[in-house]
Amino acid sequence: MTAIALRPPEVVMRLQRLGAAHPTRLSFLRQLIRRATREKWRVRKHLFDLDDNGFGRAVYAVETPARIYSLVAFSTPLADENRSDRVIAQAWDTSYVLYDGLPDAAEIARLEANAPRQEAGRYTSRELVLARANKSVRLFEEVATALAQGQQPDEEQLLGVGYLLRTTAVYGNGKFGIADRDEISSRPELAGSFQAEMLTVWLIRSFTFDLVDHIARRRNPVGAARLAPDLRRALGVGNATGLGMAPFLVRHPLLTHSWFLARETALARVRAEPRAGAAERDAFSNALADLRQRVARWHSDDSRQAAATRILAADLGALAENLDQLLAKPRPWDAVYRFAEGHFSLEGQEACVSLILEPHGALIDELGDTMKADETPGHIVDGGMDCGSLHQALLDCYSWARAIDFTEPAANARFWYVSAEKLEPRLGERFEEDGAELEQPLATVRDALGLAAALAREPASASVADFLLRRPEWRHAVRRAQIVAKFPYAEIHDNLIGAELRPVDILRAKLAFFGARSFDPRSDRWLRIALFSGEPLIEDVATMAGEAA
Amino acid sequence: MIDLSLNEVETLSTKAARGAGFSWGLAEDIGRAARRIAVEDENWGVAMLNLAEHAQSFEPPSPARAARWRSDETDLATGRPLCPIRTAALLLDEPVPASALPLPILDVGLPVWLDAMLRRSEMRVAGRVGLATRADVVIERRAETEQPATGRRGAIDERTLAALNSFAARTYVPESERSRVRGAGGGRVDDE
Repeated sequence: MTAIALRPPEVVMRLQRLGAAHPTRLSFLRQLIRRATREKWRVRKHLFDLDDNGFGRAVYAVETPARIYSLVAFSTPLADENRSDRVIAQAWDTSYVLYDGLPDAAEIARLEANAPRQEAGRYTSRELVLARANKSVRLFEEVATALAQGQQPDEEQLLGVGYLLRTTAVYGNGKFGIADRDEISSRPELAGSFQAEMLTVWLIRSFTFDLVDHIARRRNPVGAARLAPDLRRALGVGNATGLGMAPFLVRHPLLTHSWFLARETALARVRAEPRAGAAERDAFSNALADLRQRVARWHSDDSRQAAATRILAADLGALAENLDQLLAKPRPWDAVYRFAEGHFSLEGQEACVSLILEPHGALIDELGDTMKADETPGHIVDGGMDCGSLHQALLDCYSWARAIDFTEPAANARFWYVSAEKLEPRLGERFEEDGAELEQPLATVRDALGLAAALAREPASASVADFLLRRPEWRHAVRRAQIVAKFPYAEIHDNLIGAELRPVDILRAKLAFFGARSFDPRSDRWLRIALFSGEPLIEDVATMAGEAA
Repeated sequence: MIDLSLNEVETLSTKAARGAGFSWGLAEDIGRAARRIAVEDENWGVAMLNLAEHAQSFEPPSPARAARWRSDETDLATGRPLCPIRTAALLLDEPVPASALPLPILDVGLPVWLDAMLRRSEMRVAGRVGLATRADVVIERRAETEQPATGRRGAIDERTLAALNSFAARTYVPESERSRVRGAGGGRVDDE
């Protein structure tokens, strides 16, 4: 079997394509579902103490083979005018921690004094994740009303939104005093990227259904209906994500490389398969039908996304029409991919990548284990390298950036900064706002080209260590250049400070790796998504056969 | 005392180092080194504050002085303490030949930082350096590099934390009205 080359970074890492990313079976929530199903994780409601209006506390305990984790949930009254997706909000409908073990009453009381305050509270290493979520107010109330009347809510309306609650932050890795990632990274069930965060959201999903059922039953103890199982499975958890997440892919270059390398390796493996078996064909057809149904429901007021979604629907229609003849060719999956590459929008091409991977778990799922990285090796600067070699490496790695002229205002239009008010990343207009002298080191391409120019003025044989001794201001750029030379998917191949930058493209790429769907940009710098929609409920995995995910 | 996660220690220290005038690249190194100090030492916060407050009084090793270390010549002090961060960065980037170890270096400012920075390599500062303001040190070889520690936190008193936060705050920008409106996550109340 001849190998198929990986799609190169100059194709994969462009912002436009990142902004068209789709979740795959390697996405983190899918990895979590597979493990939970395989290991038959059990969930039980350890505490469910809510009043008639659904306010109170609940604890969901998850038994994994080695340990128990608990979602501790608090539901509190919130005036409508205080309900905001923005990270600067100060109160929420619900708040959560993922707790390491099973909390006793004293621990629940401690968490109740802190979790509803989120960033204003303080946490310990027993808390692994901190999160909050707001109700989709109109929809939540309509569902509660319908259920209280003994009826199921309108399916199309329900699935058009796709969730009852929307998280506005899910914090991990030591934030506000919670456990460091190092504390859990050696535990198999949480070792993969964002597994603790995905577990939290998966549990929140079940809590949202139990919450609406509870409210309906309290309104009508005798006649209330329970949200139907098929609707529960179809619904996910919403999420609103803004600029705060954007620098992550830049700040974690080795991890980013590992994610993209795994996905591209998976794609190359499947494309190299000599034939398509009946089971794979069926699985592909099912996945295509499922995606077409989801795309038909995919709503966004954003005109760009709405247009892209319409074209995606047409692309998927063309794929369905041509599928039989494509799969009859030698290397059928490669034929499918090349057909997409030749005929489809970027959205269609990336959706096709996801579909091609779907039937091939046995071939690619083990790559999920490679989607993690310790950034420490990237921290080492190879000062023994000579300036001439580093200069050449920069020219090679950033050849795609040669056309960018940073003396042009449009190329240098923005700067990333941390806001004094909220300590969150923000994007400023360099020539219109103050503060550019406090720019964060996220102008990757400008700094790479600047470093190349500085190195060109050094003797080629001079060591990088000597150069950095005189020019410490280039240390971050040297470090990055040496990483990118070794880890080609570590760098986004676009200008992150240009006037044309749309940060939502970066957000979408990361969220697709989480497993997000229903991308709904609300501006060029924040978007809403859904997680876990159409996936199994966590309380069902203990009794599910095989590895359904 | 306030108990910080090690990630908080690293993030705060990186920002404070940048706020004290270190380059971004060196500030990243300092953040990682602060984490190593916090794992072993209750006084990581004081060490970090000392570094931020003294950042401008140190001098980097000159190329001539670095050349003396590499060629096993006797070190010469200059009267100003050596920057422990710049010194460590040089030694880490291009380690001196094995024959140059043990390497005596004179008049190093805050040598605890030289030691903490070197701990990710096969070098270390001989003996205990504590929180000395400046000292002559000897760099020696050691067998194993350090593995990441777990189950540790970084305790810090409120005054030191506030002082470090004010160094970190030098890296922040007040939000403009325009940025506030465009925001990071919309500006409207949820209407759905």
